[in-house]
Amino acid sequence: MKFFAQSFSYDDPWSIVTLAFFLRYPNPYASHVISCDVVSRSVTPSGSLLTRRLILKRGAMPRWFPRGIVSRAETWVIEESEVDPVGRTVRCKTSNLDHVKIMQVEETVTFRSTPEGKTLQHTEARILSGFGWGLTKRIEAHGLNKFKANLQRSREGVSLIVQLLRQSRMPMALGNAEETAILFTSPGPTRREPTPAEPKIGTDDTHGIPRAQNSWSRLKAWLRPPSRTE
Amino acid sequence: MADSLSPECTPLKQEYDSCFNVWFEGYLSPAISPSATDAQRTAHYQRKAKEFEDKCGKVYKEYQACLQSAVKQKGIEPLLQQAREEHPLREPLPPATPSSKDS
Repeated sequence: MKFFAQSFSYDDPWSIVTLAFFLRYPNPYASHVISCDVVSRSVTPSGSLLTRRLILKRGAMPRWFPRGIVSRAETWVIEESEVDPVGRTVRCKTSNLDHVKIMQVEETVTFRSTPEGKTLQHTEARILSGFGWGLTKRIEAHGLNKFKANLQRSREGVSLIVQLLRQSRMPMALGNAEETAILFTSPGPTRREPTPAEPKIGTDDTHGIPRAQNSWSRLKAWLRPPSRTE
Repeated sequence: MADSLSPECTPLKQEYDSCFNVWFEGYLSPAISPSATDAQRTAHYQRKAKEFEDKCGKVYKEYQACLQSAVKQKGIEPLLQQAREEHPLREPLPPATPSSKDS
Protein backbone atom coordinates (compact mmCIF):
# COMPACT_ATOMS: atom_id res chain seq x y z
CA MET A 1 0.00 0.00 0.00
CA LYS A 2 1.23 3.45 -0.87
CA PHE A 3 0.12 6.56 0.90
CA PHE A 4 0.43 10.09 -0.35
CA ALA A 5 -0.59 13.46 1.06
CA GLN A 6 -0.15 16.98 -0.15
CA SER A 7 -1.50 20.43 0.67
CA PHE A 8 -1.94 23.35 -1.63
CA SER A 9 -3.25 26.85 -1.15
CA TYR A 10 -5.37 28.86 -3.58
CA ASP A 11 -5.38 32.64 -3.24
CA ASP A 12 -9.07 32.71 -4.05
CA PRO A 13 -11.97 32.51 -1.62
CA TRP A 14 -13.50 29.18 -0.74
CA SER A 15 -16.79 29.80 -2.54
CA ILE A 16 -15.04 30.34 -5.91
CA VAL A 17 -12.69 27.38 -5.52
CA THR A 18 -15.60 25.14 -4.51
CA LEU A 19 -17.65 26.29 -7.47
CA ALA A 20 -14.69 25.66 -9.76
CA PHE A 21 -14.17 22.23 -8.27
CA PHE A 22 -17.75 21.27 -9.10
CA LEU A 23 -17.48 22.76 -12.58
CA ARG A 24 -14.13 21.20 -13.37
CA TYR A 25 -15.27 18.74 -16.02
CA PRO A 26 -14.68 19.21 -18.81
CA ASN A 27 -11.50 21.20 -18.88
CA PRO A 28 -8.46 20.91 -21.12
CA TYR A 29 -6.51 19.21 -18.34
CA ALA A 30 -9.11 16.47 -17.90
CA SER A 31 -9.33 14.98 -21.36
CA HIS A 32 -9.44 11.52 -19.78
CA VAL A 33 -12.93 12.16 -18.39
CA ILE A 34 -15.42 10.48 -20.71
CA SER A 35 -18.60 11.06 -18.76
CA CYS A 36 -19.76 12.42 -15.44
CA ASP A 37 -23.22 11.90 -13.95
CA VAL A 38 -24.92 12.89 -10.74
CA VAL A 39 -26.49 9.75 -9.29
CA SER A 40 -27.80 11.29 -6.08
CA ARG A 41 -27.92 14.67 -4.46
CA SER A 42 -29.53 16.06 -1.33
CA VAL A 43 -29.34 18.89 1.17
CA THR A 44 -29.17 17.78 4.81
CA PRO A 45 -31.18 19.56 7.55
CA SER A 46 -27.98 21.29 8.67
CA GLY A 47 -27.55 22.68 5.17
CA SER A 48 -24.78 20.47 3.77
CA LEU A 49 -25.00 19.40 0.15
CA LEU A 50 -24.30 15.72 -0.46
CA THR A 51 -23.53 14.61 -3.99
CA ARG A 52 -22.64 11.27 -5.48
CA ARG A 53 -21.26 11.30 -9.00
CA LEU A 54 -20.40 8.43 -11.31
CA ILE A 55 -17.51 9.22 -13.60
CA LEU A 56 -16.02 7.23 -16.47
CA LYS A 57 -12.33 7.83 -16.99
CA ARG A 58 -10.02 6.68 -19.70
CA GLY A 59 -6.74 5.18 -18.61
CA ALA A 60 -3.76 3.52 -20.15
CA MET A 61 -2.04 0.40 -18.95
CA PRO A 62 1.74 0.65 -18.65
CA ARG A 63 3.68 -1.09 -21.37
CA TRP A 64 5.07 -3.72 -19.01
CA PHE A 65 1.61 -4.80 -17.84
CA PRO A 66 0.58 -8.31 -19.03
CA ARG A 67 -1.66 -8.22 -22.08
CA GLY A 68 -5.14 -9.63 -22.18
CA ILE A 69 -6.07 -8.99 -18.55
CA VAL A 70 -7.73 -5.67 -19.03
CA SER A 71 -9.88 -5.59 -22.14
CA ARG A 72 -10.66 -1.90 -21.99
CA ALA A 73 -8.61 0.72 -20.22
CA GLU A 74 -11.61 2.56 -18.80
CA THR A 75 -12.60 2.85 -15.18
CA TRP A 76 -15.80 3.71 -13.38
CA VAL A 77 -15.11 6.06 -10.52
CA ILE A 78 -17.45 7.06 -7.71
CA GLU A 79 -17.06 10.52 -6.22
CA GLU A 80 -18.84 11.45 -3.03
CA SER A 81 -18.77 14.96 -1.75
CA GLU A 82 -20.11 16.99 1.10
CA VAL A 83 -20.22 20.76 0.95
CA ASP A 84 -20.65 22.38 4.35
CA PRO A 85 -21.40 26.04 3.67
CA VAL A 86 -21.47 26.93 7.37
CA GLY A 87 -18.06 25.48 8.20
CA ARG A 88 -16.81 26.52 4.72
CA THR A 89 -15.49 23.03 4.06
CA VAL A 90 -15.76 20.58 1.19
CA ARG A 91 -14.81 16.99 1.56
CA CYS A 92 -14.71 14.70 -1.41
CA LYS A 93 -13.87 11.01 -1.57
CA THR A 94 -13.14 9.27 -4.83
CA SER A 95 -12.39 5.66 -5.64
CA ASN A 96 -12.48 3.36 -8.64
CA LEU A 97 -15.25 0.77 -8.79
CA ASP A 98 -13.75 -1.70 -11.22
CA HIS A 99 -10.29 -3.16 -11.79
CA VAL A 100 -10.00 -2.99 -7.99
CA LYS A 101 -7.99 -6.20 -7.78
CA ILE A 102 -5.34 -4.72 -10.05
CA MET A 103 -5.31 -1.40 -8.27
CA GLN A 104 -7.59 0.64 -6.09
CA VAL A 105 -6.97 4.32 -5.63
CA GLU A 106 -8.85 6.07 -2.85
CA GLU A 107 -8.53 9.80 -2.80
CA THR A 108 -9.82 12.22 -0.20
CA VAL A 109 -9.64 15.91 -0.87
CA THR A 110 -10.76 18.72 1.39
CA PHE A 111 -11.08 22.41 0.71
CA ARG A 112 -11.16 24.68 3.74
CA SER A 113 -11.52 28.39 4.02
CA THR A 114 -8.58 29.99 5.81
CA PRO A 115 -8.87 33.01 8.14
CA GLU A 116 -7.12 35.09 5.45
CA GLY A 117 -9.90 34.33 2.97
CA LYS A 118 -7.83 31.88 0.97
CA THR A 119 -8.54 28.22 0.36
CA LEU A 120 -6.49 25.31 1.55
CA GLN A 121 -6.68 22.07 -0.40
CA HIS A 122 -5.51 18.90 1.26
CA THR A 123 -5.29 15.69 -0.72
CA GLU A 124 -4.67 12.19 0.56
CA ALA A 125 -4.44 9.03 -1.48
CA ARG A 126 -4.20 5.34 -0.68
CA ILE A 127 -3.04 3.12 -3.51
CA LEU A 128 -3.49 -0.58 -3.07
CA SER A 129 -2.89 -3.47 -5.44
CA GLY A 130 -3.89 -7.06 -4.83
CA PHE A 131 -2.61 -8.27 -8.17
CA GLY A 132 0.24 -10.51 -7.09
CA TRP A 133 2.47 -12.25 -9.70
CA GLY A 134 5.37 -10.25 -8.34
CA LEU A 135 3.87 -7.10 -9.82
CA THR A 136 2.07 -5.65 -6.80
CA LYS A 137 4.82 -3.24 -5.78
CA ARG A 138 5.48 -2.16 -9.33
CA ILE A 139 1.78 -1.49 -9.94
CA GLU A 140 1.51 0.54 -6.74
CA ALA A 141 4.62 2.56 -7.57
CA HIS A 142 3.25 3.22 -11.04
CA GLY A 143 -0.13 4.19 -9.59
CA LEU A 144 1.50 6.61 -7.20
CA ASN A 145 3.50 8.30 -9.93
CA LYS A 146 0.42 8.64 -12.10
CA PHE A 147 -1.53 9.99 -9.16
CA LYS A 148 1.06 12.68 -8.48
CA ALA A 149 1.15 13.75 -12.11
CA ASN A 150 -2.64 13.76 -12.33
CA LEU A 151 -2.95 15.79 -9.13
CA GLN A 152 -0.86 18.51 -10.69
CA ARG A 153 -3.03 18.50 -13.80
CA SER A 154 -6.20 18.43 -11.76
CA ARG A 155 -5.06 21.52 -9.86
CA GLU A 156 -4.26 23.29 -13.09
CA GLY A 157 -7.74 22.43 -14.31
CA VAL A 158 -9.38 23.85 -11.18
CA SER A 159 -7.15 26.94 -11.36
CA LEU A 160 -8.20 27.52 -14.95
CA ILE A 161 -11.88 27.42 -14.00
CA VAL A 162 -11.18 29.68 -10.99
CA GLN A 163 -9.56 32.16 -13.34
CA LEU A 164 -12.55 32.06 -15.69
CA LEU A 165 -14.93 32.62 -12.80
CA ARG A 166 -12.87 35.46 -11.42
CA GLN A 167 -12.77 37.22 -14.76
CA SER A 168 -16.42 36.66 -15.49
CA ARG A 169 -17.35 38.22 -12.15
CA MET A 170 -15.22 41.31 -12.67
CA PRO A 171 -15.97 42.54 -16.17
CA MET A 172 -14.59 46.01 -15.38
CA ALA A 173 -11.35 44.61 -14.06
CA LEU A 174 -10.60 42.44 -17.04
CA GLY A 175 -7.63 44.44 -18.18
CA ASN A 176 -5.89 41.33 -19.26
CA ALA A 177 -7.93 41.09 -22.44
CA GLU A 178 -5.41 39.04 -24.30
CA GLU A 179 -5.40 36.32 -21.71
CA THR A 180 -9.18 36.24 -21.67
CA ALA A 181 -9.21 36.04 -25.43
CA ILE A 182 -6.90 33.07 -25.29
CA LEU A 183 -9.13 31.30 -22.83
CA PHE A 184 -12.30 31.95 -24.75
CA THR A 185 -11.05 31.40 -28.25
CA SER A 186 -9.04 28.28 -27.66
CA PRO A 187 -10.73 25.44 -29.49
CA GLY A 188 -12.72 24.36 -26.48
CA PRO A 189 -12.13 21.52 -24.09
CA THR A 190 -10.60 19.23 -26.62
CA ARG A 191 -11.20 15.80 -25.24
CA ARG A 192 -8.68 13.90 -27.28
CA GLU A 193 -5.66 16.07 -26.62
CA PRO A 194 -3.51 15.64 -23.57
CA THR A 195 -2.63 19.33 -23.37
CA PRO A 196 -4.71 22.42 -24.04
CA ALA A 197 -4.40 23.52 -27.62
CA GLU A 198 -2.48 26.72 -28.02
CA PRO A 199 -4.31 29.38 -29.94
CA LYS A 200 -2.37 31.56 -32.28
CA ILE A 201 -1.75 34.88 -30.64
CA GLY A 202 -1.88 37.94 -32.82
CA THR A 203 -4.23 36.54 -35.41
CA ASP A 204 -7.86 37.48 -35.79
CA ASP A 205 -8.61 34.79 -33.24
CA THR A 206 -7.77 37.16 -30.42
CA HIS A 207 -10.44 39.63 -31.48
CA GLY A 208 -14.01 38.32 -31.37
CA ILE A 209 -14.05 38.09 -27.55
CA PRO A 210 -17.50 36.96 -26.57
CA ARG A 211 -18.80 39.83 -24.47
CA ALA A 212 -21.37 37.83 -22.59
CA GLN A 213 -23.74 39.52 -20.20
CA ASN A 214 -23.26 37.37 -17.14
CA SER A 215 -20.90 34.85 -15.74
CA TRP A 216 -22.98 31.84 -16.63
CA SER A 217 -23.40 32.55 -20.29
CA ARG A 218 -19.69 33.23 -20.51
CA LEU A 219 -18.83 30.06 -18.71
CA LYS A 220 -21.28 28.10 -20.80
CA ALA A 221 -19.70 29.48 -23.92
CA TRP A 222 -16.47 27.99 -22.78
CA LEU A 223 -17.78 24.83 -21.21
CA ARG A 224 -20.05 24.01 -24.10
CA PRO A 225 -18.31 25.19 -27.23
CA PRO A 226 -20.57 25.28 -30.30
CA SER A 227 -18.16 23.26 -32.41
CA ARG A 228 -18.34 20.02 -30.52
CA THR A 229 -17.18 17.04 -32.53
CA GLU A 230 -19.38 14.54 -30.73
CA MET B 1 -20.35 20.45 -18.96
CA ALA B 2 -19.30 16.87 -19.25
CA ASP B 3 -21.39 14.33 -21.12
CA SER B 4 -23.62 11.76 -19.52
CA LEU B 5 -22.63 8.10 -19.67
CA SER B 6 -25.48 7.69 -22.10
CA PRO B 7 -25.74 10.06 -25.08
CA GLU B 8 -29.53 10.19 -24.87
CA CYS B 9 -29.30 11.52 -21.30
CA THR B 10 -26.73 14.22 -22.12
CA PRO B 11 -29.25 16.98 -23.02
CA LEU B 12 -31.18 16.40 -19.78
CA LYS B 13 -27.94 16.20 -17.84
CA GLN B 14 -26.73 19.51 -19.22
CA GLU B 15 -30.06 21.18 -18.56
CA TYR B 16 -29.89 19.92 -15.00
CA ASP B 17 -26.25 21.00 -14.58
CA SER B 18 -27.07 24.53 -15.79
CA CYS B 19 -29.91 24.72 -13.29
CA PHE B 20 -27.75 23.36 -10.49
CA ASN B 21 -24.83 25.68 -11.25
CA VAL B 22 -26.94 28.80 -10.93
CA TRP B 23 -28.46 27.58 -7.68
CA PHE B 24 -25.10 26.39 -6.34
CA GLU B 25 -23.47 29.77 -6.84
CA GLY B 26 -26.14 31.34 -4.62
CA TYR B 27 -25.93 28.52 -2.11
CA LEU B 28 -22.18 29.05 -1.67
CA SER B 29 -22.28 32.80 -1.24
CA PRO B 30 -22.33 33.70 2.45
CA ALA B 31 -25.84 35.13 2.52
CA ILE B 32 -26.23 34.41 6.19
CA SER B 33 -24.25 36.25 8.84
CA PRO B 34 -21.83 34.27 11.00
CA SER B 35 -23.70 35.45 14.08
CA ALA B 36 -26.97 33.89 12.92
CA THR B 37 -28.57 31.45 15.30
CA ASP B 38 -28.80 27.76 14.49
CA ALA B 39 -32.52 28.15 13.91
CA GLN B 40 -31.98 30.99 11.44
CA ARG B 41 -29.34 28.97 9.68
CA THR B 42 -31.54 25.89 9.46
CA ALA B 43 -34.38 28.00 8.09
CA HIS B 44 -32.05 29.55 5.52
CA TYR B 45 -30.84 26.19 4.22
CA GLN B 46 -34.33 24.74 4.25
CA ARG B 47 -35.34 27.63 2.00
CA LYS B 48 -32.33 26.94 -0.21
CA ALA B 49 -33.22 23.25 -0.44
CA LYS B 50 -36.80 24.11 -1.36
CA GLU B 51 -35.64 26.63 -3.93
CA PHE B 52 -33.48 23.94 -5.51
CA GLU B 53 -36.37 21.49 -5.59
CA ASP B 54 -38.69 24.09 -7.11
CA LYS B 55 -36.23 25.18 -9.76
CA CYS B 56 -34.38 22.00 -10.66
CA GLY B 57 -36.49 19.17 -9.22
CA LYS B 58 -38.43 18.43 -12.39
CA VAL B 59 -35.44 18.19 -14.72
CA TYR B 60 -33.55 16.23 -12.06
CA LYS B 61 -36.27 13.55 -12.00
CA GLU B 62 -36.30 13.33 -15.79
CA TYR B 63 -32.52 13.10 -15.88
CA GLN B 64 -32.48 10.40 -13.18
CA ALA B 65 -35.14 8.35 -14.98
CA CYS B 66 -33.06 8.45 -18.15
CA LEU B 67 -29.88 7.65 -16.25
CA GLN B 68 -31.36 4.73 -14.35
CA SER B 69 -32.47 2.95 -17.48
CA ALA B 70 -29.06 3.61 -19.07
CA VAL B 71 -27.29 2.22 -16.01
CA LYS B 72 -29.42 -0.95 -16.24
CA GLN B 73 -28.79 -1.31 -19.96
CA LYS B 74 -25.06 -0.96 -19.55
CA GLY B 75 -24.99 -3.48 -16.72
CA ILE B 76 -23.27 -1.17 -14.27
CA GLU B 77 -26.08 -1.26 -11.73
CA PRO B 78 -24.40 -3.91 -9.49
CA LEU B 79 -21.23 -1.79 -9.45
CA LEU B 80 -23.19 1.25 -8.39
CA GLN B 81 -25.14 -0.67 -5.77
CA GLN B 82 -21.90 -1.98 -4.32
CA ALA B 83 -20.55 1.56 -4.17
CA ARG B 84 -23.62 2.72 -2.27
CA GLU B 85 -23.11 0.01 0.31
CA GLU B 86 -19.35 0.43 0.64
CA HIS B 87 -19.35 4.19 0.77
CA PRO B 88 -22.29 5.49 2.73
CA LEU B 89 -22.57 9.17 1.95
CA ARG B 90 -23.02 10.37 5.52
CA GLU B 91 -19.90 10.46 7.58
CA PRO B 92 -18.85 13.08 10.07
CA LEU B 93 -16.89 15.92 8.54
CA PRO B 94 -13.36 16.53 9.74
CA PRO B 95 -13.01 19.40 12.21
CA ALA B 96 -13.31 22.82 10.60
CA THR B 97 -9.81 23.83 11.61
CA PRO B 98 -7.03 21.56 10.40
CA SER B 99 -5.54 19.68 13.31
CA SER B 100 -1.80 19.38 13.63
CA LYS B 101 -1.78 15.65 13.21
CA ASP B 102 -4.07 14.61 10.40
CA SER B 103 -4.31 10.86 10.40
